Amino acid sequence: MGQQYLGMPGKLSILAGAQAGVSDEDARILRGLRSGIEDAYEELIARYQGGVYGIVFRLLGNQNDASDVVQEVFLKIFRSVDSFREQSSLRTWIYRIAVNEAHNHRRWFSRHCCREVAVDEGIDPSESLKSAADPGRSPFEQALERENRTLIEQALDRINPVFRTAVILRDIENLSYEEIADILQVSLGTVKSRILRGRDALRRELTLEHGFAEAFI
Amino acid sequence: MTCYSAKRQSTAFLDKHLRPRENARIAAHLNECADCAVYFEQVGSLCSGLNALPGVIAPAGLKTALRVLASRERQVVEQTHGSRWKLPWERWKFRLRVMMEPITIPAAGGLLSALMLFGTLLLAIDTNAVRASVGYEAPIMSTDDTNLVPIELRSKDVILTMSLDSDGHIQDYAVQDGTTSFTGDTARLQYNNIALPDFAGILTFAHPITSDIRIRFTPIAFRP
Repeated sequence: MGQQYLGMPGKLSILAGAQAGVSDEDARILRGLRSGIEDAYEELIARYQGGVYGIVFRLLGNQNDASDVVQEVFLKIFRSVDSFREQSSLRTWIYRIAVNEAHNHRRWFSRHCCREVAVDEGIDPSESLKSAADPGRSPFEQALERENRTLIEQALDRINPVFRTAVILRDIENLSYEEIADILQVSLGTVKSRILRGRDALRRELTLEHGFAEAFI
Repeated sequence: MTCYSAKRQSTAFLDKHLRPRENARIAAHLNECADCAVYFEQVGSLCSGLNALPGVIAPAGLKTALRVLASRERQVVEQTHGSRWKLPWERWKFRLRVMMEPITIPAAGGLLSALMLFGTLLLAIDTNAVRASVGYEAPIMSTDDTNLVPIELRSKDVILTMSLDSDGHIQDYAVQDGTTSFTGDTARLQYNNIALPDFAGILTFAHPITSDIRIRFTPIAFRP
Protein backbone atom coordinates (compact mmCIF):
# COMPACT_ATOMS: atom_id res chain seq x y z
CA MET A 1 0.00 0.00 0.00
CA GLY A 2 1.12 3.59 -0.49
CA GLN A 3 3.04 5.30 2.24
CA GLN A 4 1.58 8.14 4.24
CA TYR A 5 2.48 11.56 3.00
CA LEU A 6 2.45 14.35 5.52
CA GLY A 7 1.38 17.70 4.16
CA MET A 8 4.06 20.33 4.70
CA PRO A 9 3.70 23.97 3.70
CA GLY A 10 6.26 24.90 1.07
CA LYS A 11 9.22 26.88 2.40
CA LEU A 12 12.23 28.14 0.52
CA SER A 13 15.61 27.65 2.05
CA ILE A 14 19.10 28.76 1.16
CA LEU A 15 21.20 25.81 0.11
CA ALA A 16 24.96 25.76 0.12
CA GLY A 17 24.97 24.07 -3.23
CA ALA A 18 22.65 22.35 -5.64
CA GLN A 19 21.58 18.89 -4.65
CA ALA A 20 22.89 16.21 -6.90
CA GLY A 21 19.77 14.19 -7.58
CA VAL A 22 16.65 14.03 -5.48
CA SER A 23 16.39 13.68 -1.74
CA ASP A 24 14.64 10.69 -0.14
CA GLU A 25 11.58 12.78 0.50
CA ASP A 26 11.35 13.95 -3.08
CA ALA A 27 11.89 10.39 -4.30
CA ARG A 28 8.94 9.29 -2.21
CA ILE A 29 6.74 12.01 -3.69
CA LEU A 30 7.82 11.04 -7.19
CA ARG A 31 7.01 7.39 -6.57
CA GLY A 32 3.59 8.43 -5.28
CA LEU A 33 2.91 10.59 -8.33
CA ARG A 34 3.88 7.79 -10.68
CA SER A 35 1.62 5.37 -8.85
CA GLY A 36 -1.32 7.78 -8.72
CA ILE A 37 -1.40 8.12 -4.91
CA GLU A 38 -3.57 11.06 -3.94
CA ASP A 39 -1.52 12.18 -0.96
CA ALA A 40 1.56 12.59 -3.15
CA TYR A 41 -0.31 15.02 -5.38
CA GLU A 42 -1.56 16.95 -2.35
CA GLU A 43 1.89 17.21 -0.87
CA LEU A 44 3.44 18.35 -4.13
CA ILE A 45 0.88 21.13 -4.43
CA ALA A 46 1.29 22.14 -0.80
CA ARG A 47 5.09 22.24 -1.04
CA TYR A 48 5.59 24.01 -4.32
CA GLN A 49 2.49 25.99 -5.16
CA GLY A 50 3.65 29.08 -3.24
CA GLY A 51 7.18 29.08 -4.61
CA VAL A 52 6.10 28.50 -8.18
CA TYR A 53 3.44 31.18 -7.98
CA GLY A 54 5.94 33.64 -6.49
CA ILE A 55 8.44 33.16 -9.31
CA VAL A 56 5.83 33.26 -12.05
CA PHE A 57 4.13 36.33 -10.58
CA ARG A 58 7.42 38.20 -10.38
CA LEU A 59 8.25 37.27 -13.96
CA LEU A 60 4.86 38.18 -15.42
CA GLY A 61 3.68 40.90 -13.05
CA ASN A 62 0.04 39.92 -13.48
CA GLN A 63 -2.04 37.86 -11.09
CA ASN A 64 -4.38 36.32 -13.66
CA ASP A 65 -1.59 35.36 -16.01
CA ALA A 66 0.41 33.94 -13.12
CA SER A 67 -2.53 31.75 -12.04
CA ASP A 68 -2.96 30.40 -15.55
CA VAL A 69 0.71 29.68 -15.94
CA VAL A 70 0.96 27.98 -12.55
CA GLN A 71 -1.78 25.58 -13.61
CA GLU A 72 0.09 24.89 -16.83
CA VAL A 73 3.24 24.25 -14.83
CA PHE A 74 1.61 21.72 -12.53
CA LEU A 75 -0.09 20.02 -15.45
CA LYS A 76 3.28 19.61 -17.08
CA ILE A 77 4.75 18.30 -13.85
CA PHE A 78 2.02 15.67 -13.49
CA ARG A 79 2.38 14.58 -17.07
CA SER A 80 6.14 14.49 -17.35
CA VAL A 81 6.90 13.00 -13.94
CA ASP A 82 7.65 9.71 -15.69
CA SER A 83 10.32 11.28 -17.85
CA PHE A 84 12.05 13.11 -14.97
CA ARG A 85 15.47 11.49 -14.70
CA GLU A 86 16.17 12.68 -11.15
CA GLN A 87 19.56 14.11 -12.06
CA SER A 88 18.65 17.39 -10.38
CA SER A 89 16.56 18.10 -7.32
CA LEU A 90 12.79 18.09 -7.63
CA ARG A 91 12.66 21.79 -6.76
CA THR A 92 15.04 22.89 -9.50
CA TRP A 93 13.19 20.73 -12.01
CA ILE A 94 9.85 22.29 -11.04
CA TYR A 95 11.25 25.82 -11.05
CA ARG A 96 12.81 25.18 -14.46
CA ILE A 97 9.40 24.30 -15.84
CA ALA A 98 7.93 27.38 -14.16
CA VAL A 99 10.53 29.76 -15.63
CA ASN A 100 10.16 28.27 -19.11
CA GLU A 101 6.38 28.43 -19.02
CA ALA A 102 6.46 32.03 -17.84
CA HIS A 103 8.81 32.99 -20.66
CA ASN A 104 6.69 31.14 -23.22
CA HIS A 105 3.59 32.87 -21.95
CA ARG A 106 5.18 36.29 -22.21
CA ARG A 107 6.47 35.54 -25.70
CA TRP A 108 3.03 34.34 -26.85
CA PHE A 109 1.38 37.47 -25.49
CA SER A 110 3.88 39.86 -26.98
CA ARG A 111 3.42 38.14 -30.36
CA HIS A 112 -0.35 38.22 -30.36
CA CYS A 113 -0.83 41.41 -28.37
CA CYS A 114 -3.92 39.91 -26.82
CA ARG A 115 -4.06 41.48 -23.48
CA GLU A 116 -7.24 40.66 -21.65
CA VAL A 117 -8.54 43.42 -19.51
CA ALA A 118 -9.21 41.95 -16.14
CA VAL A 119 -12.34 43.04 -14.33
CA ASP A 120 -10.23 43.96 -11.36
CA GLU A 121 -7.49 45.68 -13.34
CA GLY A 122 -7.97 48.84 -11.37
CA ILE A 123 -6.78 47.05 -8.28
CA ASP A 124 -3.20 47.71 -7.31
CA PRO A 125 -1.23 44.46 -7.93
CA SER A 126 0.79 45.09 -4.83
CA GLU A 127 -2.30 44.13 -2.88
CA SER A 128 -1.42 40.53 -3.66
CA LEU A 129 1.78 41.04 -1.77
CA LYS A 130 1.98 40.21 1.87
CA SER A 131 2.52 43.28 3.96
CA ALA A 132 3.14 42.42 7.52
CA ALA A 133 2.96 45.64 9.48
CA ASP A 134 5.92 45.91 11.76
CA PRO A 135 4.65 47.38 15.03
CA GLY A 136 8.12 48.75 15.72
CA ARG A 137 8.11 51.10 12.73
CA SER A 138 6.39 54.42 12.46
CA PRO A 139 3.77 55.05 9.77
CA PHE A 140 6.27 57.28 7.99
CA GLU A 141 8.85 54.52 7.88
CA GLN A 142 6.24 52.05 6.69
CA ALA A 143 5.12 54.41 3.93
CA LEU A 144 8.74 54.94 2.90
CA GLU A 145 9.32 51.22 2.85
CA ARG A 146 6.24 50.73 0.67
CA GLU A 147 7.42 53.38 -1.71
CA ASN A 148 10.86 51.84 -1.94
CA ARG A 149 9.31 48.47 -2.73
CA THR A 150 7.19 50.01 -5.48
CA LEU A 151 10.22 51.72 -6.98
CA ILE A 152 12.21 48.50 -6.99
CA GLU A 153 9.37 46.50 -8.48
CA GLN A 154 8.79 49.04 -11.21
CA ALA A 155 12.47 49.12 -12.03
CA LEU A 156 12.56 45.31 -12.04
CA ASP A 157 9.78 45.31 -14.58
CA ARG A 158 11.76 47.51 -16.94
CA ILE A 159 14.99 45.55 -17.18
CA ASN A 160 15.78 42.79 -19.67
CA PRO A 161 13.72 39.65 -18.87
CA VAL A 162 16.79 37.42 -19.01
CA PHE A 163 18.58 39.45 -16.34
CA ARG A 164 15.36 39.95 -14.41
CA THR A 165 14.93 36.17 -14.07
CA ALA A 166 18.43 35.76 -12.68
CA VAL A 167 17.98 38.60 -10.18
CA ILE A 168 14.58 37.27 -9.04
CA LEU A 169 15.92 33.77 -8.50
CA ARG A 170 18.98 35.03 -6.61
CA ASP A 171 17.92 38.08 -4.65
CA ILE A 172 14.23 37.39 -4.07
CA GLU A 173 13.95 33.61 -4.06
CA ASN A 174 17.39 33.16 -2.44
CA LEU A 175 18.46 30.27 -4.64
CA SER A 176 22.12 29.39 -4.91
CA TYR A 177 24.18 29.97 -8.05
CA GLU A 178 24.27 26.24 -8.71
CA GLU A 179 20.51 25.91 -8.42
CA ILE A 180 19.98 28.88 -10.73
CA ALA A 181 22.40 27.37 -13.23
CA ASP A 182 20.42 24.12 -13.07
CA ILE A 183 17.11 25.91 -13.50
CA LEU A 184 18.22 28.07 -16.37
CA GLN A 185 20.39 25.33 -17.89
CA VAL A 186 23.39 27.64 -18.21
CA SER A 187 26.89 27.66 -16.73
CA LEU A 188 27.82 29.17 -13.37
CA GLY A 189 29.73 31.92 -15.10
CA THR A 190 26.68 32.87 -17.12
CA VAL A 191 24.56 32.96 -13.97
CA LYS A 192 27.00 35.32 -12.27
CA SER A 193 27.19 37.47 -15.37
CA ARG A 194 23.40 37.72 -15.65
CA ILE A 195 23.01 38.57 -11.99
CA LEU A 196 25.72 41.22 -12.28
CA ARG A 197 24.13 42.79 -15.33
CA GLY A 198 20.66 42.57 -13.82
CA ARG A 199 21.70 44.34 -10.64
CA ASP A 200 23.60 46.93 -12.63
CA ALA A 201 20.58 47.55 -14.86
CA LEU A 202 18.34 47.91 -11.81
CA ARG A 203 20.75 50.37 -10.23
CA ARG A 204 20.80 52.44 -13.40
CA GLU A 205 17.01 52.41 -13.63
CA LEU A 206 16.63 53.61 -10.08
CA THR A 207 19.33 56.25 -10.56
CA LEU A 208 17.79 57.56 -13.77
CA GLU A 209 14.28 57.75 -12.40
CA HIS A 210 14.79 59.05 -8.94
CA GLY A 211 18.46 59.38 -8.15
CA PHE A 212 19.64 56.42 -6.19
CA ALA A 213 20.20 58.32 -2.97
CA GLU A 214 16.60 59.53 -2.98
CA ALA A 215 15.26 56.08 -3.74
CA PHE A 216 16.99 54.57 -0.76
CA ILE A 217 16.92 57.12 2.00
CA MET B 1 43.09 45.96 -9.25
CA THR B 2 41.15 48.10 -11.71
CA CYS B 3 37.67 49.46 -11.13
CA TYR B 4 36.39 47.34 -14.04
CA SER B 5 37.60 44.05 -12.57
CA ALA B 6 36.40 45.07 -9.09
CA LYS B 7 32.88 45.78 -10.39
CA ARG B 8 32.89 42.53 -12.33
CA GLN B 9 33.34 40.67 -9.09
CA SER B 10 30.77 42.71 -7.15
CA THR B 11 28.18 39.92 -7.43
CA ALA B 12 30.45 37.30 -5.90
CA PHE B 13 31.77 39.79 -3.32
CA LEU B 14 28.31 40.79 -2.10
CA ASP B 15 27.11 37.18 -2.11
CA LYS B 16 30.26 36.12 -0.22
CA HIS B 17 31.30 33.71 -2.88
CA LEU B 18 34.91 34.83 -3.17
CA ARG B 19 37.96 33.25 -1.66
CA PRO B 20 39.45 35.19 1.26
CA ARG B 21 42.39 36.43 -0.83
CA GLU B 22 40.14 37.81 -3.57
CA ASN B 23 37.85 39.27 -0.94
CA ALA B 24 40.74 41.12 0.66
CA ARG B 25 41.90 42.53 -2.67
CA ILE B 26 38.51 43.98 -3.43
CA ALA B 27 38.13 45.36 0.09
CA ALA B 28 41.48 47.09 -0.30
CA HIS B 29 40.39 48.57 -3.63
CA LEU B 30 37.17 49.86 -2.11
CA ASN B 31 39.19 51.63 0.56
CA GLU B 32 41.11 53.47 -2.12
CA CYS B 33 38.42 54.09 -4.75
CA ALA B 34 35.45 56.21 -3.65
CA ASP B 35 33.48 55.59 -6.87
CA CYS B 36 33.69 51.83 -6.50
CA ALA B 37 32.81 52.13 -2.82
CA VAL B 38 29.63 54.05 -3.74
CA TYR B 39 28.85 51.54 -6.48
CA PHE B 40 29.22 48.57 -4.14
CA GLU B 41 27.14 50.31 -1.47
CA GLN B 42 24.34 51.01 -3.93
CA VAL B 43 24.28 47.46 -5.27
CA GLY B 44 24.39 46.13 -1.72
CA SER B 45 21.39 48.30 -0.75
CA LEU B 46 19.60 47.13 -3.83
CA CYS B 47 20.15 43.48 -2.92
CA SER B 48 18.86 44.15 0.58
CA GLY B 49 15.83 45.93 -0.88
CA LEU B 50 15.13 43.00 -3.18
CA ASN B 51 15.53 40.55 -0.35
CA ALA B 52 13.11 42.54 1.77
CA LEU B 53 10.35 42.48 -0.84
CA PRO B 54 7.31 40.79 0.63
CA GLY B 55 6.21 37.37 -0.54
CA VAL B 56 3.32 37.01 -2.92
CA ILE B 57 0.03 35.44 -1.94
CA ALA B 58 -1.51 33.08 -4.43
CA PRO B 59 -5.19 33.70 -5.19
CA ALA B 60 -7.64 31.69 -3.14
CA GLY B 61 -9.00 29.63 -6.01
CA LEU B 62 -5.62 28.53 -7.32
CA LYS B 63 -5.11 25.69 -4.87
CA THR B 64 -8.57 24.33 -5.65
CA ALA B 65 -7.88 24.53 -9.37
CA LEU B 66 -4.62 22.65 -8.89
CA ARG B 67 -6.39 19.97 -6.87
CA VAL B 68 -8.96 19.51 -9.59
CA LEU B 69 -6.15 19.22 -12.11
CA ALA B 70 -4.36 16.70 -9.92
CA SER B 71 -7.50 14.66 -9.47
CA ARG B 72 -8.06 14.46 -13.22
CA GLU B 73 -4.48 13.42 -13.88
CA ARG B 74 -4.54 10.89 -11.08
CA GLN B 75 -7.65 9.34 -12.61
CA VAL B 76 -5.87 8.85 -15.89
CA VAL B 77 -2.93 7.19 -14.14
CA GLU B 78 -5.32 4.89 -12.27
CA GLN B 79 -7.28 3.94 -15.37
CA THR B 80 -4.23 3.07 -17.36
CA HIS B 81 -2.50 1.42 -14.37
CA GLY B 82 0.58 3.42 -15.28
CA SER B 83 0.83 1.45 -18.55
CA ARG B 84 3.67 2.73 -20.67
CA TRP B 85 1.62 2.83 -23.84
CA LYS B 86 -1.88 3.45 -22.60
CA LEU B 87 -0.97 6.53 -20.60
CA PRO B 88 0.53 8.52 -23.46
CA TRP B 89 -2.33 7.38 -25.69
CA GLU B 90 -4.94 8.60 -23.19
CA ARG B 91 -3.11 11.88 -22.88
CA TRP B 92 -2.95 12.31 -26.65
CA LYS B 93 -6.65 11.63 -26.90
CA PHE B 94 -7.27 14.29 -24.29
CA ARG B 95 -5.03 16.78 -26.05
CA LEU B 96 -6.71 16.12 -29.38
CA ARG B 97 -10.11 16.60 -27.83
CA VAL B 98 -9.04 19.83 -26.18
CA MET B 99 -7.52 21.00 -29.46
CA MET B 100 -10.64 20.22 -31.47
CA GLU B 101 -13.07 21.77 -29.02
CA PRO B 102 -12.53 25.39 -30.03
CA ILE B 103 -13.02 24.63 -33.71
CA THR B 104 -15.85 22.12 -33.43
CA ILE B 105 -18.67 24.64 -33.16
CA PRO B 106 -17.43 27.03 -35.87
CA ALA B 107 -16.69 24.08 -38.16
CA ALA B 108 -20.16 22.64 -37.65
CA GLY B 109 -21.69 26.05 -38.21
CA GLY B 110 -19.67 26.52 -41.39
CA LEU B 111 -20.66 23.10 -42.70
CA LEU B 112 -24.33 23.76 -41.99
CA SER B 113 -24.19 27.15 -43.69
CA ALA B 114 -22.48 25.64 -46.74
CA LEU B 115 -25.11 22.90 -46.96
CA MET B 116 -27.94 25.41 -46.73
CA LEU B 117 -26.41 27.78 -49.27
CA PHE B 118 -25.53 25.21 -51.89
CA GLY B 119 -28.74 23.31 -51.30
CA THR B 120 -30.69 26.46 -52.14
CA LEU B 121 -28.52 27.11 -55.19
CA LEU B 122 -29.03 23.56 -56.42
CA LEU B 123 -32.78 23.99 -56.23
CA ALA B 124 -32.56 27.27 -58.12
CA ILE B 125 -30.56 25.90 -61.04
CA ASP B 126 -32.50 22.66 -61.43
CA THR B 127 -33.85 22.73 -65.07
CA ASN B 128 -36.27 19.91 -64.44
CA ALA B 129 -38.06 22.07 -61.95
CA VAL B 130 -38.25 24.94 -64.47
CA ARG B 131 -39.48 22.61 -67.16
CA ALA B 132 -42.05 21.17 -64.87
CA SER B 133 -43.54 24.58 -64.11
CA VAL B 134 -43.49 25.89 -67.67
CA GLY B 135 -44.13 22.65 -69.59
CA TYR B 136 -42.04 23.74 -72.53
CA GLU B 137 -39.47 21.69 -74.30
CA ALA B 138 -36.22 23.45 -74.99
CA PRO B 139 -35.64 23.51 -78.74
CA ILE B 140 -32.89 21.31 -80.09
CA MET B 141 -30.85 22.74 -82.90
CA SER B 142 -31.36 20.74 -86.11
CA THR B 143 -29.22 20.79 -89.22
CA ASP B 144 -32.01 19.34 -91.32
CA ASP B 145 -32.93 21.49 -94.36
CA THR B 146 -36.64 21.06 -93.70
CA ASN B 147 -36.37 23.77 -91.09
CA LEU B 148 -34.35 26.10 -93.29
CA VAL B 149 -36.10 29.13 -94.75
CA PRO B 150 -35.42 28.75 -98.49
CA ILE B 151 -34.84 32.39 -99.38
CA GLU B 152 -31.68 34.36 -99.56
CA LEU B 153 -31.56 37.06 -96.98
CA ARG B 154 -30.02 40.18 -98.49
CA SER B 155 -31.47 43.05 -96.62
CA LYS B 156 -30.68 44.23 -93.18
CA ASP B 157 -34.26 44.20 -92.19
CA VAL B 158 -35.64 40.66 -91.98
CA ILE B 159 -39.10 40.29 -90.58
CA LEU B 160 -39.97 36.96 -89.06
CA THR B 161 -43.58 36.56 -88.10
CA MET B 162 -44.80 33.47 -86.34
CA SER B 163 -47.68 32.44 -84.15
CA LEU B 164 -47.42 29.98 -81.29
CA ASP B 165 -50.02 27.77 -79.68
CA SER B 166 -50.52 27.23 -75.97
CA ASP B 167 -47.72 24.67 -75.90
CA GLY B 168 -45.25 27.04 -77.49
CA HIS B 169 -45.27 25.22 -80.82
CA ILE B 170 -45.05 27.19 -84.04
CA GLN B 171 -48.43 27.19 -85.80
CA ASP B 172 -47.45 29.21 -88.82
CA TYR B 173 -44.63 31.49 -89.80
CA ALA B 174 -43.54 33.79 -92.56
CA VAL B 175 -40.21 35.40 -93.37
CA GLN B 176 -39.97 38.65 -95.31
CA ASP B 177 -36.66 39.93 -96.57
CA GLY B 178 -37.12 43.18 -98.40
CA THR B 179 -39.36 42.35 -101.35
CA THR B 180 -38.88 38.60 -100.96
CA SER B 181 -41.11 36.63 -98.65
CA PHE B 182 -41.67 33.04 -97.68
CA THR B 183 -44.55 31.41 -95.86
CA GLY B 184 -43.56 28.28 -94.04
CA ASP B 185 -45.17 24.86 -93.81
CA THR B 186 -45.31 24.01 -90.12
CA ALA B 187 -46.05 20.39 -90.88
CA ARG B 188 -42.55 20.04 -92.18
CA LEU B 189 -40.86 21.71 -89.23
CA GLN B 190 -38.82 19.48 -87.04
CA TYR B 191 -38.27 20.12 -83.34
CA ASN B 192 -40.21 23.33 -83.48
CA ASN B 193 -37.41 25.51 -84.76
CA ILE B 194 -36.80 27.66 -87.78
CA ALA B 195 -33.37 27.91 -89.33
CA LEU B 196 -32.46 31.12 -91.10
CA PRO B 197 -29.92 30.93 -93.94
CA ASP B 198 -26.63 32.77 -93.97
CA PHE B 199 -26.82 36.41 -94.76
CA ALA B 200 -25.33 36.82 -98.30
CA GLY B 201 -23.82 40.15 -97.59
CA ILE B 202 -21.21 38.49 -95.43
CA LEU B 203 -19.91 36.12 -98.14
CA THR B 204 -20.38 38.01 -101.47
CA PHE B 205 -16.93 39.48 -101.78
CA ALA B 206 -15.17 36.63 -100.02
CA HIS B 207 -14.33 38.73 -97.11
CA PRO B 208 -16.47 39.48 -94.17
CA ILE B 209 -18.51 42.60 -94.23
CA THR B 210 -19.74 43.47 -90.84
CA SER B 211 -23.28 44.57 -90.59
CA ASP B 212 -25.95 44.80 -87.98
CA ILE B 213 -28.76 42.33 -88.51
CA ARG B 214 -32.19 43.29 -87.39
CA ILE B 215 -34.89 40.72 -87.11
CA ARG B 216 -38.21 42.25 -86.37
CA PHE B 217 -40.11 39.76 -84.39
CA THR B 218 -43.79 40.08 -83.58
CA PRO B 219 -44.80 37.65 -80.90
CA ILE B 220 -48.39 36.81 -80.38
CA ALA B 221 -49.06 36.57 -76.70
CA PHE B 222 -51.28 33.65 -75.93
CA ARG B 223 -53.32 33.77 -72.85
CA PRO B 224 -55.08 30.55 -71.83
